Amino acid sequence: MSQVEKKTGLLRRTSSSKKPLKEKVVLMYDEIFAKEDPAKNNPRFWDELFLMKVNLEYLETKLETVDGEEVQKIQDNINSLFHHCVQALGEEHQIKVVNALQTLCALFRGVHQKNKSASGFDIINMLMGFDKAEQRMKDLMERLDSLLCGEGSESLKSLCLKLLLCLVTVTDNISQNTILEYVMINSIFEAILQILSDVSSRGQHGYDAVVLLALLVNYRKYESVNPYIVKLSIVDDEPTLDGMGMVVHHALTEYNRQYKDKEEENQGGFFSTLTSMVGSMFIADADEKLSVQTNEAILLALYEAVHLNRNFITVLAQSHPEMDIPTTPTTLTPTTPTTPLGTTPPSLDMMNNPELPLDPNLQTSNLLITFLKYASIVMQDTKDEHRLNSARLCLIILTCIAEDQYADAFLHDDNMNFRVNLHRMPMRHRKKAVDKNIPSRPLVCAVLDLMVEFIVTHMMKDFPMDLYLRCVQIIHKLLCYQKKCRIRLHYTWRELWSALINLLKFLLSNETTLLSKHNIFHLALLVVNLFNMFITYGDTFLPTSNSYDELYYEIVRMHQVFDNLYCMVLRVSTNTGQWKEPASKVTHALVNVRAIVNHFNPKIESYASVNHISQLSEEQVLEVVRSNYDTLTLKLQDGLDQFERYSEQPKEAAFFKELVRSISLNVRKNVSLNTLSQGVLLKEFSTIS
Amino acid sequence: MEDSEPEPPPSASSSHSLSLPSTPSSSSSSGDPPSAVPPPLGVIREALGELVINAEVAQRACREVLQQVKLNQGEEPQQMKLSKGEEPQQMKLNQGEEPQQMMLNQGEELQQLKLNQGEEPQQKKLNQGEEPQQMMLNQGEELQQLKLNQGEEPQQKKLNQGEEPQKKLNQGAEPQQMKLNQGEEPQQMKLNQGEEPQQMKLNQGEEPQWMTLNQGEEPQQMKLNQGEEPQHMNLNQGEEPQQMKRNQGEGPRHGEELQQMKLNQGEEPQQMKLTQGDEPQAPPAPPTVQVGDPEGPAPGSVKSLRRRQRHNPSKQSWLLRLFESKLFDVSMAISYLHSSKEPGVQAYIGNRLFSFSNDQVDFYLPQLLNMYIHMDEDVGDAIKPYVVHRCRQSIWFSLQCAWLLGAYSSDMHISTQRHSRGTKLRKLILSDELKPAGARGRRDPLTLMPFFPLAPPGHGAPEHSLSPSKRTHQRSKSDATVSISLSSNLKRTASNPRVESQDEPVRLAPQREFIKSLMGIGKRLATLPTKEQKTQRLISELSLLNHKLPARVWLPTAAFDHHVVRVPHTQAVVLNSKDKAPYLIYVEVLECESFETSSVPVRIPENRIRSTRSVENLPDCGMTAEQRAGSFSTVPNYDNDDEAWSVDDIGELQVELPEIHTSSCDNISQFSVDSITSLESKEPVFIAAGDIRRRLSEQLAVAPTTFKRDPEDPSAVALKEPWEEKVRRIREGSPYGHLPTWRLLSVIVKCGDDLRQELLAYQVLQQLKCIWQQERVPLWIQPYKILVLSSDSGMIEPVMNAVSLHQVKKQSQLSLLDYFLQEHGAPTTEKYLSAQRNFVQSCAGYSLICYLLQVKDRHNGNILLDADGHIIHIDFGFILSSSPKNLGFETSAFKLTNEFVDVMGGPDGDMFNYYRMLMLQGLIAARKHMDRVLQIVEIMQQGTQLPCFHGSSTLRGLKERFHMSLTEEQLQLLVDQLVDGSMRSITTKLYDGFQYLTNGIM
Repeated sequence: MSQVEKKTGLLRRTSSSKKPLKEKVVLMYDEIFAKEDPAKNNPRFWDELFLMKVNLEYLETKLETVDGEEVQKIQDNINSLFHHCVQALGEEHQIKVVNALQTLCALFRGVHQKNKSASGFDIINMLMGFDKAEQRMKDLMERLDSLLCGEGSESLKSLCLKLLLCLVTVTDNISQNTILEYVMINSIFEAILQILSDVSSRGQHGYDAVVLLALLVNYRKYESVNPYIVKLSIVDDEPTLDGMGMVVHHALTEYNRQYKDKEEENQGGFFSTLTSMVGSMFIADADEKLSVQTNEAILLALYEAVHLNRNFITVLAQSHPEMDIPTTPTTLTPTTPTTPLGTTPPSLDMMNNPELPLDPNLQTSNLLITFLKYASIVMQDTKDEHRLNSARLCLIILTCIAEDQYADAFLHDDNMNFRVNLHRMPMRHRKKAVDKNIPSRPLVCAVLDLMVEFIVTHMMKDFPMDLYLRCVQIIHKLLCYQKKCRIRLHYTWRELWSALINLLKFLLSNETTLLSKHNIFHLALLVVNLFNMFITYGDTFLPTSNSYDELYYEIVRMHQVFDNLYCMVLRVSTNTGQWKEPASKVTHALVNVRAIVNHFNPKIESYASVNHISQLSEEQVLEVVRSNYDTLTLKLQDGLDQFERYSEQPKEAAFFKELVRSISLNVRKNVSLNTLSQGVLLKEFSTIS
Repeated sequence: MEDSEPEPPPSASSSHSLSLPSTPSSSSSSGDPPSAVPPPLGVIREALGELVINAEVAQRACREVLQQVKLNQGEEPQQMKLSKGEEPQQMKLNQGEEPQQMMLNQGEELQQLKLNQGEEPQQKKLNQGEEPQQMMLNQGEELQQLKLNQGEEPQQKKLNQGEEPQKKLNQGAEPQQMKLNQGEEPQQMKLNQGEEPQQMKLNQGEEPQWMTLNQGEEPQQMKLNQGEEPQHMNLNQGEEPQQMKRNQGEGPRHGEELQQMKLNQGEEPQQMKLTQGDEPQAPPAPPTVQVGDPEGPAPGSVKSLRRRQRHNPSKQSWLLRLFESKLFDVSMAISYLHSSKEPGVQAYIGNRLFSFSNDQVDFYLPQLLNMYIHMDEDVGDAIKPYVVHRCRQSIWFSLQCAWLLGAYSSDMHISTQRHSRGTKLRKLILSDELKPAGARGRRDPLTLMPFFPLAPPGHGAPEHSLSPSKRTHQRSKSDATVSISLSSNLKRTASNPRVESQDEPVRLAPQREFIKSLMGIGKRLATLPTKEQKTQRLISELSLLNHKLPARVWLPTAAFDHHVVRVPHTQAVVLNSKDKAPYLIYVEVLECESFETSSVPVRIPENRIRSTRSVENLPDCGMTAEQRAGSFSTVPNYDNDDEAWSVDDIGELQVELPEIHTSSCDNISQFSVDSITSLESKEPVFIAAGDIRRRLSEQLAVAPTTFKRDPEDPSAVALKEPWEEKVRRIREGSPYGHLPTWRLLSVIVKCGDDLRQELLAYQVLQQLKCIWQQERVPLWIQPYKILVLSSDSGMIEPVMNAVSLHQVKKQSQLSLLDYFLQEHGAPTTEKYLSAQRNFVQSCAGYSLICYLLQVKDRHNGNILLDADGHIIHIDFGFILSSSPKNLGFETSAFKLTNEFVDVMGGPDGDMFNYYRMLMLQGLIAARKHMDRVLQIVEIMQQGTQLPCFHGSSTLRGLKERFHMSLTEEQLQLLVDQLVDGSMRSITTKLYDGFQYLTNGIM
């Protein structure tokens, strides 16, 4: 093609004529989609092709519009294009590499778009040809691998990751993406790890790398052996794991910061509170404004790391100074999609700094603290599907953490004290503590606080039974650890007790509505057994002897709830029906609580009558409790300190499948290959070549 | 010349290598010692013949050697040649002289006997009131004269002719010496007293033997000596003019030359020394009081000086004999090195340092280096060879020197500092050019290392074992990964441990980096406002530091060789300090043979117990790509979650719900969550609520008295925890804990504080402790080790099991006595009584310390109380001439509050009287060895800006506080005065009040 023509084409284009004249590259695409071998007339066709700026839209639409029969005819050309793309990746000329990467991306997308219904094999056949597929993909993965690990341009690496993300997310259900089988065979796991272990590359590509890893791990997770799972589970290189932790930490911090900013925006100054008050009369409520989109992809990555790799647990406690500083956008990522879920990383320049910054205002933080804060925000509102999923995932992660002994060890470490400012939902009946003067405590206190907070704030019609179960189980696991290791945590257990009693109360009062959807007896049983833990094993983990008295005080004070619960479960268990069995379990579990209530109530009443006091003070009740222990006999219950270990399969498999699907959709939507505009690349590479 | 010694040419002559190990004092190649075994007479005679014949040749050679050795200082190859040339001559010389020395020794012995018996009373009288220093003044001249005279006088002949002349000499010298000795008298008296009986015995026992030996040899020796004489004469004659000239021309060198002259002249003194060094069985020449003072002798009047000149030969030998004597210890060496103005003597002592054990010299290292920095060239030259030699031997010594040199140079003016000797030496050390001499000879993994660094990276395992030294502090990646890497692919991710470039000074680097990181942490902590933030930051920074461990680093305050493997970061605490951020860290180490050569332990990941999902559990992992590629069919699920967590740390907590695994599990051992149902069939177990409650309160009561966690004072809890318990606890939690060589150490890192004064105080305390031990006075003090890293940073060895009185009071809210009762039980119990005794003994010790050193700023935060009841004073920031600028509080001699007195059983109690008695005994003992204390302080005064040396009267004041002039009765009165005064002192109370108001210290 002549230079003149190209020039005019360019000129016209810039003059924004309505009907775009065909660029040279488009003409070349057309040649490919013709039946003839494009290189037949022009032996330098492929060389030239990759020197042209890619027209993604055109190529993709072209691929989409090809119908079934044509496919057969042009398959050779497409195979050839694919082949030459892969070849071009090895070129020294970086422009060619960039164009080849983008072309490949368009190919993957276009082919999948077109063949939504087609089987993976057809797609592979169309792209590469069956006979050569293996070799082509091997070459591709090797090239990508060496690009990612080489000393080359950062933009190129970024583009490689985008291509991979694109490839991984072309199908809604990742497990149906047959091409990934080749990615399993030709692992790029090592390249991902290398990106994470290096400080500077982690800063720029860490986010994409982590998301990619999380997705790859979920490929046919339950059906086959996924080498990424295997490899991820045995990584023990600290810098790498740390790097992964840093990426997650940073993403979560970024989210927390955005949320905080929004929150402050809403509460800024007297006037704005006034207006928002007025405003909130008309607009739904504050929730809308405060919603920052959750980042499930990164949460999934955290989950996989915690769940699969036990070494990662140490990273949770790895402290970093809190990265609260508003980050300035880096110059290298000029146009980022604004959606936080996008795969473009929140500017990670803070992580590039290997030296800890010297800002005295920075609170030292660690991944776990940041995660807890994040969870506290996410759990505030579970109405939205995304947030519900996020909250569920958060609780699953916490379950894994609570089960891990090393994690428990540092959660309970008396020397590792932190102030964790959990976000609390503003509620009618309680004031939002403006000046949160939280004492510095072991981290487990923050976890318990979070659980108590959740229990207190989610007693609603649309009862999140699943989350409650997880929540109570987490508490139970922590108590088991404390009992086993005889750790006397200085925690205000009273708050937990009253929260649990309130939960029982709620279950009772909404029995009918809840029973239609949930097995409330299971939850009730877990709650009652928590009390049984305290009652029978309190001597091993309660901090003071007074706290044991207080436990009795609380039970006696709220005896009405337990009485009602007993009546209810007794009623249900005597009837025949589906709840007979679970309800009878609860009746048995209530034995000790009822013994306490029945033992102390008469004593207190007689004390009151003897002393002619109508309303006993707390101190007086405690006195009665203290003096009447010896005549009370309790029944030792089995298995109180046993729990069911978390296992992803089969219970959670469906959840994760769905989660991965939604993440895939989201990532696909946001993978922006155009991020790197040609101009930037030209600028960067003109100096090289 | 001095340089040549510590760095002997590796292929030196046989005589060289033979004599080296045991000859500490030889200072020139020509002065090489004889071999330890006296040569057969025949050989001697033969040699003698040759000697006479070759006298001239020898003389020439000698001259040449001297010149060249001087010129070629430090240039070994040349020296090698030279020494070859020398060899024959030396052999002869050595051979010829042996017998002679034996005789001399014998003469000495007799003399000593006599002197020991007769001298003391006399000395006592004489010594009182006279200034030792004056006596030193003339000493320099005298020595010179001695030497000059040597050439002219056929001294050796006289000396060797038997006992009589010597006796005469000795007698003549005696009165003089008695005078001369006055300066040293207290010390020597003691020495003599202590050792006399033993020596007597020794001497008596050995004498006959010696006599016979000597008798038998006498004629021959006469001959020998006679034969030798010409040579000496020649040598002397030949050499002298030349040297004289040189001396005139080259002022500064003059010390060396003089020494050489001396050495060449007749060789006798040197050889004597050497022989003694070589032959341990040589009669101890101890009470060398007499001899001792040839140094001191320099004294008095011109008249006596002249008279002495006549006896110079013996004089000379006496001086040397002191140096040779067993009594001549490091303390004396340092003292002479400091006070002697005579380059020869300084050079000699410089050489003599080699003969002391490393530990002994190390104690005086600050003194040595301070002299090196601030005193004249001669002293510096005398010290340098020793320092260089030791630096070559040990990394630890190198760094210690570098740090101290830096610290003690810091008070100099910037411009002079840059070019000062201290700075140069420091640079030399830090440049790491002082590699072990073994680079040429010794096989040292360290020195071999440079040849290996290009070993193919990635061969994880062999790399560790081959060159352990490669794992420096900078170790960037976990090695574990390398070895674990599944495929060759994965290795890349671990990005192979960076290989150090060849020229990187790897020897000192790891430790320096380690120290630097610790200091960096301290600096960053200081910027944080609250204790809590500091603590959190400290923990997080230390956890990062952990990633780089284990490495070839060690804790300088420890007493054994080790490698640091881990810092249990969560145990670290920030200490109480207003604006600085000192912090206490615990350090896990593995003891090893030698930290320089033993290989660095392999890193064990933090959570070692948790084996990850192992490859075996996922059988498909090993499947090759080809196998898999063929089929896309799904494989049955191997990802069994429960199995994957193979090592189940809380396995006993686990339960599997029957719903899930009913078929596969037999439930014999399994509890189930809903086992309540099954209870119906079982016999229910009943427990009493009262029991639970009782157990709870019992368990809480049994727990040892711990302090409550206080975010404002995080160290209180950490320090209160008994050390053994802490060690056990940390060991349990450590991945290295199972190793038998695992040890726990702790150290306080101070950043921004000048610890030089602390170091001085440590030295004084240590010295006094030694003195009291020696004198068997049961005073108790605990000097804690100080490591000066620079003029504003350092490390301190924490006192174990001790918390400050402030913390005690704040936490317990009890009086000191009540706290004692709480901790140690009723006043009649064994435990309490021993705690009380400890308290009294330590109180007495520290009262004396406080008085002598004028330790100020004695608030309760600076006084610790340990688990056994001892008090321990810390923070010697205000001693001697410095005191905190606060309105003249703390006027009393030391801190003795009523609370202290109460613990001692009240002012009339027995224990309080015991306290007074201890004070008196301690003071008397300290007075006896005053010089040993003064000397430490005096030398450090040189060239320093330390506040404790403000004003001119520091040393005088210190000396006065020893009250040399008082009788014991008077001392008793003084002590009573001090105690009563301190007890009544209102200012102590005021100061405590002041501290409470200003700093919240109770």
